[in-house]
Amino acid sequence: MSALPARRPPLVQRLLHGLLPLYTALAVIYLFVPIAVMIAFSFNDPLGRQNITWQGFTLENYVQVWSRSDITGPMAASLTVAIVSTIGATILGTLIGLALTRYEFRGQGPLNLLIYVPMATPEVIMGASLLAMWVTLDIQRGLPTIIIAHVMFNISFVVVTIRARLAGFNRSLEEAAMDLGADEWTTFRKVTLPLILPGILAAALLAFALSIDDYVITSFVAGQTTTFPLWVYGASRFGVPPEVNVLGTLIFVVAFTFIALQILWSRRGRRSTARPLEVEP
Amino acid sequence: MPLRRRLRWLTPYLFLIPGGLWLIVFFVAPMIVMASVSLQEGSLATGYRLTWNFAVYGQVINEYLPQFWRSGIYALSVTLLALLFGYPMAYTIAFRGGRAKNILLLLVILPFFTAFIIRTLSWKLILADNGFVLGTLKSFGLLDQGFHVLASPIAVISGLTYNFLPFMVLPVYVALEKIDPHLVEAANDLYASRLQAFLRVTLPLSMPGIFAGSLLVFIPAVGDFINADILGSRDTTMIGNVIQRLFLNTNAYPEASALGFVVMTVVLVLVAIYARVVGARELTVG
Amino acid sequence: MNSRPLSSRTLAVAALFVLVAVAGCGIAAQSPTPVTTPTAPPVATGTPGASGSPAASGTPSATATATAVPTPVPTLAGQVIFGNWPYYIDVDEDTGANPTLDQFTAQTGIDVTYLEVIGDNSQFFGTIQPDLAAGHPTGYDLIAPSDWMVARLIRLGYLQPLDKSQLPNWQANAQPALRDPWYDPGNVYSIPWQAGIVGIGYNEKLTGRPITSFDDLLDPAFAGRSGLFSEMIDTMSLTLLSLGVKPEDATPQDVQLAHDKLLAAAETGQFRDFYDNSYYDALAVGDLAITMAWSGDISQMQLYDNPDVKFIIPDTGGLLFVDNMVMPNGAAHPTDAYRFMDYWYTLEAAVPLTEYIGYFSPVVGVQEQVRLDAAAERAAGHPRYADKLDQVAADSFPTAEQLANVFDYKNLTEDEERIWNDLFNDVLNG
Repeated sequence: MSALPARRPPLVQRLLHGLLPLYTALAVIYLFVPIAVMIAFSFNDPLGRQNITWQGFTLENYVQVWSRSDITGPMAASLTVAIVSTIGATILGTLIGLALTRYEFRGQGPLNLLIYVPMATPEVIMGASLLAMWVTLDIQRGLPTIIIAHVMFNISFVVVTIRARLAGFNRSLEEAAMDLGADEWTTFRKVTLPLILPGILAAALLAFALSIDDYVITSFVAGQTTTFPLWVYGASRFGVPPEVNVLGTLIFVVAFTFIALQILWSRRGRRSTARPLEVEP
Repeated sequence: MPLRRRLRWLTPYLFLIPGGLWLIVFFVAPMIVMASVSLQEGSLATGYRLTWNFAVYGQVINEYLPQFWRSGIYALSVTLLALLFGYPMAYTIAFRGGRAKNILLLLVILPFFTAFIIRTLSWKLILADNGFVLGTLKSFGLLDQGFHVLASPIAVISGLTYNFLPFMVLPVYVALEKIDPHLVEAANDLYASRLQAFLRVTLPLSMPGIFAGSLLVFIPAVGDFINADILGSRDTTMIGNVIQRLFLNTNAYPEASALGFVVMTVVLVLVAIYARVVGARELTVG
Repeated sequence: MNSRPLSSRTLAVAALFVLVAVAGCGIAAQSPTPVTTPTAPPVATGTPGASGSPAASGTPSATATATAVPTPVPTLAGQVIFGNWPYYIDVDEDTGANPTLDQFTAQTGIDVTYLEVIGDNSQFFGTIQPDLAAGHPTGYDLIAPSDWMVARLIRLGYLQPLDKSQLPNWQANAQPALRDPWYDPGNVYSIPWQAGIVGIGYNEKLTGRPITSFDDLLDPAFAGRSGLFSEMIDTMSLTLLSLGVKPEDATPQDVQLAHDKLLAAAETGQFRDFYDNSYYDALAVGDLAITMAWSGDISQMQLYDNPDVKFIIPDTGGLLFVDNMVMPNGAAHPTDAYRFMDYWYTLEAAVPLTEYIGYFSPVVGVQEQVRLDAAAERAAGHPRYADKLDQVAADSFPTAEQLANVFDYKNLTEDEERIWNDLFNDVLNG
């Protein structure tokens, strides 16, 4: 502990101290502004096709959306693609991330390149090249080809995110575990994995967001399947119905609920993070 | 077990192969085909022939230099802004978040689970020339009537920053979160002020996160076209818009592919320089 | 640790081998040649799009015209796959069903897979072109490209000529004004779906004066609040008309002049942006004072979003656009497709469709029927809906005066298209 006697920090410092959380709160609110607009307009009752001017409150959109299979169908497709491709990309990307940061081996340079190049490639080129490949191989485009494409472009993002977590990873904890008799797999499961889990989750979240939003690449490899961004982008040229806002709101609410439940669950259960010396500065 | 020990060297390759193979089959191979397309000449009606037309690269660079510059500058601005706005957020969540850490992190990324299009269209509504923000300010005489945010570089950069913010926050958070708070305490014990502790201890240790975040923002931002499309005007045309048009509207496949490869190469060179400067080698090997 | 890394040379050779092998296959298959004969079908269909369950429809029913009986044809497959634009089919707001499609299925037993996959002509072309070039089926029996895209598809040999003997209703009921169009003389490959006019939409409150001409778009008084289309053929053609040149007669020098005129204005910041359909929002909320526009959109806007907007055909002339049904090569169910195409030329299909979409109907008799429906609705005490129907009736076919003042696009060869596109891109890219 400090050798100096404790004294109250000056006013300036206390203000600055409070500034950071205030800023973060404002920033998070700012992030939610368009979401608030989206939710507000999900209750709009427009006369025409466009949902751009407020014309009246209604709850009907929430009822009608379920019968709009032309909207719910694409949404289901998008969710399926996002979930599957996130799992795939996270697994593949984590493995690569582990390999790159924990092992020395030949070919690291080219591998690094391989990871960064897809991020740098314009989507229209990636999409068109994939389409050309499927056509050449005479493979029908649809949900599987979309998933394949999404896994492909997500791997890079996962790797880059995971590496930020794994960089400078301290092997001593693992070595300690092994010294205490744990084999490699157990060490991985009980020591390594929990430590890198935040990085994996962050990467998975990023991958999910990227997948559920993708328009350009998907438009090339979707064949006759429509995903949500495809439908919205096409419809936005003519008029986005409030049902779209409803679906957006519902996704948001579901995710929010999921978070809340996760928090409650983790408060109730034991925390499994290996940070026994956690101290709040 | 001797066999296991002897096969140890295989481990990194085993880890690599699934993802690496995926990328090779579904990215590298199609891109090689695209590279060959860029060197072809012809048209839809007459078919394309591989003529090794390397001149196309010079042509497209020359013709679209303004858009290259513009995309680079926009992407750089977006990266800096994302860092400026995102780092404090990540810092607060990592160090002050406490129990609420996970909630806050998920809150940051939550808006990005709704469709990008909806978010951008909402911004269009909010920032409309006479919408509730600008219209109100104008009616109070705080802005002159001709003022507009949309269809300007500001709108495009703001849109890009907004959409790429989590790409910066997440990696930075991930790096910050694993910094041992004892290190900061130690700095304080050694009479460092809070600012000094931050600058000499926390910031350098968070470099891997900053590095990752900058890449995740800069690289896709250069090639982005949707923000410029929806929020911009002709004067904000980015290289992504050019490629999109060349490919889809003009059907100039060789030129579009060539342009795509130029973008990729330039970005990768910049990344390599950046990595060298930041000393990425030390950052990534455990 | 005792590690023996694979020599990098071995790795490199292996990787190179894989790459060359795959690339070799790719390059070998990369010479697209146009295919004119249809390839053998059956094709796996993608996930079906929007086909609602049959339900009581809320829209008023139209009286049926005498439908001609088609000549005996081979047996139906029972399915048709149609790729169309969004908002181009009637929707029962309560059930999400498409009454006209359900009616068709009830009458013929043919199941309709209706896919709203076209957001943009060029974007859609980009997704089907590789299949067509390789001679594969696209998976669609029918698609609905716009006129100039039909011209391009014909030029590339990607479409099936239509057997008119299987389209008796079209022969009987198609509007003469839309027969034998510039992009498909003799309707060999296409029949219209819906049509409209490209002109100018403006908000009189913001412009402060009535608008009459194309040059008003270039009026510095509207700097930064004027819009043009990002669709090359629309904007270039309208500009050519403003120079006194009919698009179909345009020479390369004319196009260069059009380019110069637009570029000069664009560089001063005259145009807020070049829009696809998104001009609608901008005009409705007042970001734009004046813009190129589609006739049907402006009617919608007047009714629902902004009563101050008006639509005019420029004094130098407007453009008639037509979206069409065409059958791409490799269509799996051509017979069903013919029945489907022909169905839209009966009043029982065309009237509900037009009442929902609000553009020009290519079917004779629709305008009168919609007027009758409007009157019936007004009598039944639904004034708002009756107003809408009256507007739709007015919009469902151009007046003689309008027809006199709209022009055709030019049927461009690939080289010409390239020149026009290059010039237009020069204007478009800041």
